[in-house]
Amino acid sequence: MSSSGWRGALLLLLGCALAGCTSESSPYKYTVVFSQCNNSEPYRAAQNAAMKKLWGEQPDVHLVVMDAQQDSVRQIAEIETAIRMKPQLLIVAPNERAPLTEVMKSAMEAHIPVLCLERDIAEPFYTSWIRVDNRAIGRLLGQFVVTCLAKKYGEPRGNIVELAGLKGVEAEANRKLGAHDVWDTYPKIKVVGEAVANWSQSLAKDRMTELLSAVPQIDVVYGRNDPMAVGAYLAARERDREKEMIFVGIDGLAGEAGGVSKVQEGVLAATCIYPLCVDKAVEIGTHILHDSSFTPDKTYTISSALVTADNAATFYK
Amino acid sequence: MIDKFWKYLKYHGQPFIGLVLILVLGTVLSPHATDGTIVFLSPGNLTDVLLQQSEIGIIALAMTFVIIGAGIDLSVGSVLAFSACVTALMLMVWNPHGPTALQVAIAILAASVGGALIGALNGFVITRIRLQPFVMTLATMIGVRGFTKWLTGNVNVDLGFDATPSGRFAELFSSKPFAISLWLSLAIVAHLILTRTVYGRYLRAIGENERAAAYTGLPVRKVRLAAYIGCGLLAAWAGLIHAARSHQGNPNDGIGYELDAIAAVVIGGTALAGGRGSIIGTVTGTLVLGLLTNVLRLHMVDSNLELMIKAVIIIAAVWLQRRNTGVHGEL
Amino acid sequence: MLACRDIHKHYGGVAALKGVSWSLLPGEVHALCGENGAGKSTLARIFCGITAANSGEIIFNGQPVNWTGPQAARQAGLGIILQELDLFAHLSIAENLAIGNTRMESGSWVSPAALHEAARPLLRDVGLELDPELPLENLSVSQWQLVAIARVLGLNAKVIFMDEPTSALTDDAVERLFGLIRRLKERGVTIVYVSHKMNEIFRICDRVSVMRDGEMIGTDVCAATSIEQVIQQMVGRTMTATRRKKIATPKESFLEVRNIFTRKLRDVSFTLGRGEILGVAGLVGSGRSEIGRALFGRSPVTQGSMILEGRDFKPLTPHDAVSRGVALVPEDRQREGLISGMSIRQNTSLASLSKYSRASWIDREGEATAAKEALANCRTKLTDLELPVGSLSGGNQQKVLLAKWLLTNPRICFFDDPTRGIDIGAKDDIYRLVAELAEKGLGVIWVSSELPELLVNTHRILILHEGRSLGILDSPNATQEDIMRLATGHPALS
Repeated sequence: MSSSGWRGALLLLLGCALAGCTSESSPYKYTVVFSQCNNSEPYRAAQNAAMKKLWGEQPDVHLVVMDAQQDSVRQIAEIETAIRMKPQLLIVAPNERAPLTEVMKSAMEAHIPVLCLERDIAEPFYTSWIRVDNRAIGRLLGQFVVTCLAKKYGEPRGNIVELAGLKGVEAEANRKLGAHDVWDTYPKIKVVGEAVANWSQSLAKDRMTELLSAVPQIDVVYGRNDPMAVGAYLAARERDREKEMIFVGIDGLAGEAGGVSKVQEGVLAATCIYPLCVDKAVEIGTHILHDSSFTPDKTYTISSALVTADNAATFYK
Repeated sequence: MIDKFWKYLKYHGQPFIGLVLILVLGTVLSPHATDGTIVFLSPGNLTDVLLQQSEIGIIALAMTFVIIGAGIDLSVGSVLAFSACVTALMLMVWNPHGPTALQVAIAILAASVGGALIGALNGFVITRIRLQPFVMTLATMIGVRGFTKWLTGNVNVDLGFDATPSGRFAELFSSKPFAISLWLSLAIVAHLILTRTVYGRYLRAIGENERAAAYTGLPVRKVRLAAYIGCGLLAAWAGLIHAARSHQGNPNDGIGYELDAIAAVVIGGTALAGGRGSIIGTVTGTLVLGLLTNVLRLHMVDSNLELMIKAVIIIAAVWLQRRNTGVHGEL
Repeated sequence: MLACRDIHKHYGGVAALKGVSWSLLPGEVHALCGENGAGKSTLARIFCGITAANSGEIIFNGQPVNWTGPQAARQAGLGIILQELDLFAHLSIAENLAIGNTRMESGSWVSPAALHEAARPLLRDVGLELDPELPLENLSVSQWQLVAIARVLGLNAKVIFMDEPTSALTDDAVERLFGLIRRLKERGVTIVYVSHKMNEIFRICDRVSVMRDGEMIGTDVCAATSIEQVIQQMVGRTMTATRRKKIATPKESFLEVRNIFTRKLRDVSFTLGRGEILGVAGLVGSGRSEIGRALFGRSPVTQGSMILEGRDFKPLTPHDAVSRGVALVPEDRQREGLISGMSIRQNTSLASLSKYSRASWIDREGEATAAKEALANCRTKLTDLELPVGSLSGGNQQKVLLAKWLLTNPRICFFDDPTRGIDIGAKDDIYRLVAELAEKGLGVIWVSSELPELLVNTHRILILHEGRSLGILDSPNATQEDIMRLATGHPALS
């Protein structure tokens, strides 16, 4: 390379050195790192907003939010880097169970308190897991579906189509199990189709379109989160078949695009409020930061509620 | 000896400048940990980067050979996913009798053979049927991905924990010493092959001027085929590390890895036109990319901004290289 | 009307032109001679804006000019036809003729019909009877050269520099070119004829200037000087006139080519003995290079057979041919001969690398020693073997090519126009080398367009015409007329 190139590089170096000198030490007493698995899901965007608001009320806390863009390998690398920063608290919403297990173990070994948010990992390498009983939610919805089918046909029978989220996630497995706990006892209630839509509304719309062609008679669409249920609704509406079935989802987020509003509009027959878990996380986290003798429980379970057309107004925010 | 070193640096020094710049930038801008240490330079952080880059690093080594031979291989990301899934399936689903070491060995063998066969397929079609490398490896990229999804039923295959063979495998193959020394030793071997063996010389000749090389009686087809087999094999080995680190075989992983590998090769000074290039450059390019990502992450820069910055670096690197007019460097 | 004053040019530490002052008259054909490295091509490039001088000035029509690039020089009316032709293989003839020609590129739209029309008269001028739609890659080297000349004519140049224009042309094409030059002269165009070929210079040029080692030695009117004097000025010493060489008689034949057919050859047969030098003559497109390709496995033999040292010889790739001891020095040094980005050492050892390696590990010392030795045998004066071959002169490049093949210890050497574009000193070296090879017992096949060269240096000459062999003459008894008669398709008078 020519000498002018070397000179240019040298100048750049000097500039950086000067810039470096001016960076001061942090005014914050505590650093909290929140590793979010995917910012683009509405549920998770709501979690981020809640995190920022709640932690923002504590002026001595610096909150850092990392977005792994639904890539487990990326999340692993981000947490590895976060560990180097030696934060006082690490909150993780893991993308998948198995991949994130080892790295959270490393965080624990580095003496960083780890809160596992909503989803869990393969082994309990965390200080606390703040969860929602997904199986109970599944059962709640399952029972609701049975009631609806009984009303429609006079007896509990019908065809159900399921839209599943990421397979490696605890919520997915338990929401399915909970519903099946109820349905398996009714021989005339059958699951006639299942597709994986990875929690995404657009994927769900595509998968539902395929299912509509494949299955002649559908009574219930069980989307394991609201966006997927809504996506299915849109697909059915394109075929003018939305009146022949009901759509149920889970999340129950606030706002116009949220599940509660969709129930009020009549798009969804029911949804279950899926708590963000953030309130509890911040509460426990604050205790951990300020009180060194505080030993949190291994698991905190937060309860849910069924939202239907009857009570939607009370839940709407 | 020192003389040769300065001459080499003068003609091939661009990637090193990038590396030094990033190191200095990273150090100067580095946050300080709560106990005052410079996070960026901490051995833990630097070895983190080496571990995080080991997969791309290994793939990039083989990609260097393919590109020097005036070819390209877009299928490496899919081969990585394929290898990770085959490994996971062998360890979790197929249970022969025997000690852990045997089971792990068989899994590695299956993945390696699979990767090498895919590479051979690429090489065969490119050299005999004369399909363009871009086109053929694009097709393989899609085909292997589909095959992997079919093989696993589009479901992730999680590895176990503790003392199970898969758990042991994951522990060993994701450890820093293993991944880093695998990358390093492959880099050394690759460097020696490229600069000191007959094969390396033939590859560079063929990449620069295939006609003249053919007219010199060089075995053009065999040399190219070997480069593609090597690429498939090394992508498979990178897949082993990937399976261990993510603790699963995920048929949807590895997307975009081929572009990262090519970016590392290009930043390192290898020309896409073929004929010139070096392993040292590729390793440097891989490190530049990894350290850059690390610096950005330490500063919690928006991950989307990260991609744009990467693009700028690639353009800058290639632009700087245009002024390079040295002879095929031998060190 | 075109002149230069005190031009200096150096590349790195090497001085290519040392204070050259020179002038041209309108409407003359002016020869520029010198050995390779004398600076003729550099001077031509500076005049045509391809390179810039370090100091000194160029004066055109009384005004000093400063070209910003070749385009500027072209607009002013200076055209150059380079030795290494800068044409585009994948474009058609018509498209190549149009490139850089702003008249043809008026507006953004290029109509193929318009290109076709514009191409026709130019092609007729140079005597190329081809469809302008043909892509250039289908043409032979000599045809490329004619297209290059046609292109310059299309630019309506006032001064045309021709750098070794006849190096790839056969005699009849040269005649057409001379006719063209005379016509241009009548139109008032000045032609600078850069060449080594004394006969041509004294036939077509009005004045001749000699350069040596970057300096302009002198300018004379051709009628007032002689070939010997010019050569003396070029070389700085007297040369022995080319006389029939003493070559040892060949021994038993060890290569038999029987009735072979390939894509271009029809029923060609010949034998080659140990220590024999067989010349191959013929017009452009007669299939001379095709014989080499057939022997080297690049062109499949569809009928007939080849027998080498008593065993069947059917090479499918050059690799096969090399392992049976066949070496091929191709016509196109740049595209087919050398790897220009690699060093001299690397190029020299490339065909025989397995000898300097153990289990694929290259023994650099052994390789360097062997390369030095081989290059010395070829009478090169190269000291730094690490330089890229692309930086060498044509003559030295050819010698590196020869050295490369000699290291493979071949039994048969096929030379395709080995002395093209090479100065007299180097040519002499190559003649001697080939004779030495024959003495050592190698079989040599030598393709050339220079008939005097063939007559003097070979034992027999095979003459091809449109893919057929029309006769094999004994060189001592043959004449140029005999060869030309057969080459143009008229069988020998008995």
